Amino acid sequence: MRSFPGRNHSLRLRRADLHTLAGPYALNALPPRDRERFERHLAACPACAEEVRGLRETTARLAAATAAAPTDRLKEKVFAEVTRTRQLPPVSAGQPAAGSRWLAADRWVAAVRRRVRSGRQPWARPVALIAAGAFLVAAVVFGSMALITQHRLSQAQAGDHMLAAVLTAPDAKMTDTAVTGGGTATIVMSHLADALAFSSAHLPGLPAGKAYELWLMGPPGERSVGMLPHPAHGMTSPVVATGLHSGDMVELTVEPAGGSPHPTSAPVLLMVL
Amino acid sequence: MADVPGRPVRMDHPPGGPGWPDELGALIKLAGRGDEQAFSAVYEQVAPTVFGLVLRVLRDPAQAEEVAQEVLLDVWRTASRFEPGRGSAQAWVATIAHRRAVDRVRSAEASARRDDQSAAQQTDYDTVAEAVEAKLESERVRRCLGTLTELQRESIVLAYYGGYSYREVADLLGTALGTVKTRMRDGLIRLRDCLGVT
Repeated sequence: MRSFPGRNHSLRLRRADLHTLAGPYALNALPPRDRERFERHLAACPACAEEVRGLRETTARLAAATAAAPTDRLKEKVFAEVTRTRQLPPVSAGQPAAGSRWLAADRWVAAVRRRVRSGRQPWARPVALIAAGAFLVAAVVFGSMALITQHRLSQAQAGDHMLAAVLTAPDAKMTDTAVTGGGTATIVMSHLADALAFSSAHLPGLPAGKAYELWLMGPPGERSVGMLPHPAHGMTSPVVATGLHSGDMVELTVEPAGGSPHPTSAPVLLMVL
Repeated sequence: MADVPGRPVRMDHPPGGPGWPDELGALIKLAGRGDEQAFSAVYEQVAPTVFGLVLRVLRDPAQAEEVAQEVLLDVWRTASRFEPGRGSAQAWVATIAHRRAVDRVRSAEASARRDDQSAAQQTDYDTVAEAVEAKLESERVRRCLGTLTELQRESIVLAYYGGYSYREVADLLGTALGTVKTRMRDGLIRLRDCLGVT
């Protein structure tokens, strides 16, 4: 009756079984427990996440097919509420600037300039010398973090340098990804700098003795990048990973606070670079 | 605009279809920064889909209006959290709307109200549904739904438009749970391919 397979089923079967939940999940037809189980699976299965994305676009078409004009009263009510409803802050301080799709790149640029002029970010100064691009948005994200964790950054000048190198690389590309269980991960990657910077916002708190560990996984095997620092105001200061290989994936797991030689828990984030 | 709930609306671009602008996503980002004018444009683009879907699931126009209001306020409140990398703005809004509608259905009190209402509303609802289905985008969606097997189609329609959980769908159709699960997925995949969703 329950869809949980018996213990004698192979891992492959369990995965196949989970995979079929993509349909009911996209239809919002799963009870909470199955939904959470499937969402954990999604984080570790980029192919499933892509399938869910396509199925959600499909159900959105079912929604559009049943469009109906609301009364003008609805609009009046909504706008009366809008004027007195506070908006939630973004999960992270910025969003990727995917070319011309973003109307307000100029605003980001202005924001970065203001921050740099205020002189509160030692590393951000070279960033400002370079013209607008995706990295500027990244600079806003990391900039706000650097503000919070300035002392930590000044303690780690070398890492600081590497971070600036990633952020200022002409091919720097930023990606925001949701983390299973909550929160967002932001990755800025540069092939030229052969490095990436990883930071997170609003990850779920962990019990004492546990911490998040970041890994690279790929053809050369698993490499620990390091532990995420303690968050300040919900955000962790950037961790830089160097020595990227093609086919690498970034993985985030929960480990004992001292770190593990190999991942010992299911990833809360798995991202193909 | 006449105050007739459920009046079908012509949309120039089917969401997700060719030519559908990414403009909505950009407007949502602007709205997320407190731009009420941008939100007004967002409202014009999404309110018919939101209201229509919620009405379809709940059937009761009064409740549908309440829930649609909650959904549209959610869009305003959480606009800054829309992540374009994870799907289209249309899908984001539709997901919020469907979840809210289903939450309302699954609260016991609303179920009772819906059952009471459904008899009284049945005629209206059917008229509305037929009028809607005779038009717009729904032509294509209906044609594509027609390419599914009966079990695929019923599973999807009961879950999405009916707001039933997959267990309830299995009970309603007298079919094994595992079968319903796979039919929902197979059916959606076929529908996706038929609609040319990318």
